[in-house]
Amino acid sequence: MLRYVIRRLIQMVFLFLAFLTVTWFLLYILPGDAVALKYAGNPNIPPEAREVALQRLGLDKPVLIQFRDYMVNFFQGDLGVSFNQYPRPVTEIIGERLPRTLVLFLAALVTYYWAGFLAGKYLAWRRGSRGEMLITVSGVGLYSLFLPFFALMMIWLFSVQLDLLPISKFLDPEKWRDAPFMANEVFMRLFWVTLTAAIAMFAASFAALRTNNRRLERTLRWGGIALAALWFLFYWFGTPSGQDMRVYAGDIGYHMVLPVLVLTLINFGGVMLLTRSSMLETLREDYILTARAKGLPEGVVRDRHAARTALLPVVTSLVLAVATVIDGGVITEAVFSWPGMGEILISSVISEDIPLAVGAFSFIGIMALIGHFVVDVLYGVLDPRIRVTEHG
Amino acid sequence: MTAPKLPLEESGGRAPLLEVDGLVMRYDTEAGEVSAVENVSFALARGEAMGLVGESGCGKTSVALSLLRLAPENARYQSGSVRWEGVNLLDLSDQQMREYRWAEISMVFQGAMNAWNPVYRVGAQIREAMDQHFDPPLGSSETEQRIDQLFQLVGLDPAVQRRYPHELSGGMRQRAVIAMALSCDPKLIIADEPTTALDVIVQAQILEELKEIQQDLGLSILYISHDMAVIAQVTDTIGVMYAGKMVEFGSTQEVFHRPSHPYSFLLLSSIPSVTGPRRRPMSLEGTPPNLLAPPSGCRFHPRCPWATEQCRQEEPPMMPIGPSQWAACWNAEQVPQMGEPAP
Ligand SMILES: Nc1ncnc2c1ncn2[C@@H]1O[C@H](COP(=O)(O)OP(=O)(O)O)[C@@H](O)[C@H]1O
Ligand SMILES: [Mg+2]
Repeated sequence: MLRYVIRRLIQMVFLFLAFLTVTWFLLYILPGDAVALKYAGNPNIPPEAREVALQRLGLDKPVLIQFRDYMVNFFQGDLGVSFNQYPRPVTEIIGERLPRTLVLFLAALVTYYWAGFLAGKYLAWRRGSRGEMLITVSGVGLYSLFLPFFALMMIWLFSVQLDLLPISKFLDPEKWRDAPFMANEVFMRLFWVTLTAAIAMFAASFAALRTNNRRLERTLRWGGIALAALWFLFYWFGTPSGQDMRVYAGDIGYHMVLPVLVLTLINFGGVMLLTRSSMLETLREDYILTARAKGLPEGVVRDRHAARTALLPVVTSLVLAVATVIDGGVITEAVFSWPGMGEILISSVISEDIPLAVGAFSFIGIMALIGHFVVDVLYGVLDPRIRVTEHG
Repeated sequence: MTAPKLPLEESGGRAPLLEVDGLVMRYDTEAGEVSAVENVSFALARGEAMGLVGESGCGKTSVALSLLRLAPENARYQSGSVRWEGVNLLDLSDQQMREYRWAEISMVFQGAMNAWNPVYRVGAQIREAMDQHFDPPLGSSETEQRIDQLFQLVGLDPAVQRRYPHELSGGMRQRAVIAMALSCDPKLIIADEPTTALDVIVQAQILEELKEIQQDLGLSILYISHDMAVIAQVTDTIGVMYAGKMVEFGSTQEVFHRPSHPYSFLLLSSIPSVTGPRRRPMSLEGTPPNLLAPPSGCRFHPRCPWATEQCRQEEPPMMPIGPSQWAACWNAEQVPQMGEPAP
């Protein structure tokens, strides 16, 4: 397993280098000379000033030298400065935007995978029931909707008609006027607290699958949920920093509800259908018959044997989901005016802010690679056939 | 019709463990009813090994699954009973039935290669069955010890229990399945084509070992196979199934040396025999019928070279042939001497 992880990490580094190189050349070479583009229309710019500008941005050097400089700086953590928000470093801008995108999409991803898996499991198990029809039709119906259209409909319904949820943005500026925290600080805190709670919950329910002791199993399953909930409540109500931040974290959470809901409703159908077919296939396997023949209760056959194995292709599909998170992210962030990575990606490319664009792309690449890596490792953990065997 | 029972002296005075009486089971399908088990009766004594033979599609697996009530969802039990020590298993609630599974009757499935869930270690899957059935539960070291013993019994290194199924060879997996089948001290093991997927040498070894284990532990075994020769070596009694019906039942000795149903006769005559009586090799033509619309009269008549008008019209009942042999054929008396039918 360790060797497998190391090999994957080395692969990732090479993949990333290739990705970064291609992105850099595409963005630097294709649009031509940024200063020329910026000043070409203005006849009042003297050639000397143009030279100075070029020199200052390092654009007078040969392409390969520029590339070498960029790479050297990149690995020292310097991604240059944004042309548009000059002289704000690219890393600072990305550092502000990345968590917002991550939090929103991780929340959506976990929610819709979880909902889709549960629904799919139910569908396969209760094949032919009336509930099956209803869930399948609604899941497929939602899945086939056009995201921007559906998002606008939901905004219209929940924010305009019912006035339950905020229309857009990720916080309410009124509330934050005298806030003692940076929005990002709160964001990161929200992220870590939720992540640790979620990990505790999933770890406990996973352990519950392994035990044969009914009582211990139930204790683990519910204990995990209770522990996660307790930790969450304790943090926001029981710790000083949590208490101070609570209102602001709540505001961000409130703004996340609608985008997460929209992404979940649109996406869970796909996961559901995949889980359903995977589970139906698993249910035909001989080891399911064996599990029944062993006298195991139906719930155990369903969860420990069928659903556990049916999970594998679903986890594989996470790789693709990580990719759609990135491109779907651009649209979703636009519709909800969510100031994340998708938004700077568009604006930097349109306005020829090359350092910011390369930086944004490289971070999206890093995110995709990390996502892929996490899924691969998760798959290795879940499927012993993938693991590099320790026995000869 | 009553279940043909072996006379007590024949079975060494052993009490019947399992009595299947007039079992009728059909599958509901879109195309109609599949008559997979039609009026099947047999009895199995404690410590006895019985074989169920017949070509593929004759309902052997359906019978086996019925004993554990594990037939697919579309199976319908129309009539008959499956008595286990006097209790009709078909009358039990699902909860009660689960207590019989594995603890009383365990099963080695057809294609047992896939009997292992790929994501759990072999030992964990055995432990799971033991945790379900031992009351009071065994401690974890006792469980471990017992699995070690079982593995030794089936000729496996106990360390194998910490491996995943994909790390084992076919033969090892099959041995481990047998260990798992023994794990809860069942009285009966059903072995449905237990060695079909293995190479011939391993097949023979495993059957030999299984027979030894059966005799040492005083288990009953129901072997299912399409191969009469294999079955004859390891069983005390044989039931021959054709198209959902039991066409012959009796002691292996008698059935093997004096097959009294043309189907058994033809199944046997395709085996090159060294010890048995010399027979003219005759082949079994055609394939078993589609059970959506089984033939009238004797279900074997379309393939039977000796079929008469009576066979086409009337269904033959199980009739006693010898002290412990029954056959369902109008011409059962003549079968053992049969040769090529007159043109
Ligand atoms: N779930 C099912 N639905 C409909 N027909 C079935 C089903 N399972 C088996 N059958 C049919 O029942 C008959 C007996 O099958 P089976 O018991 O598997 O025979 P064998 O084990 O002797 O090969 C076959 O004709 C088969 O096609
Ligand atoms: Mg079969």
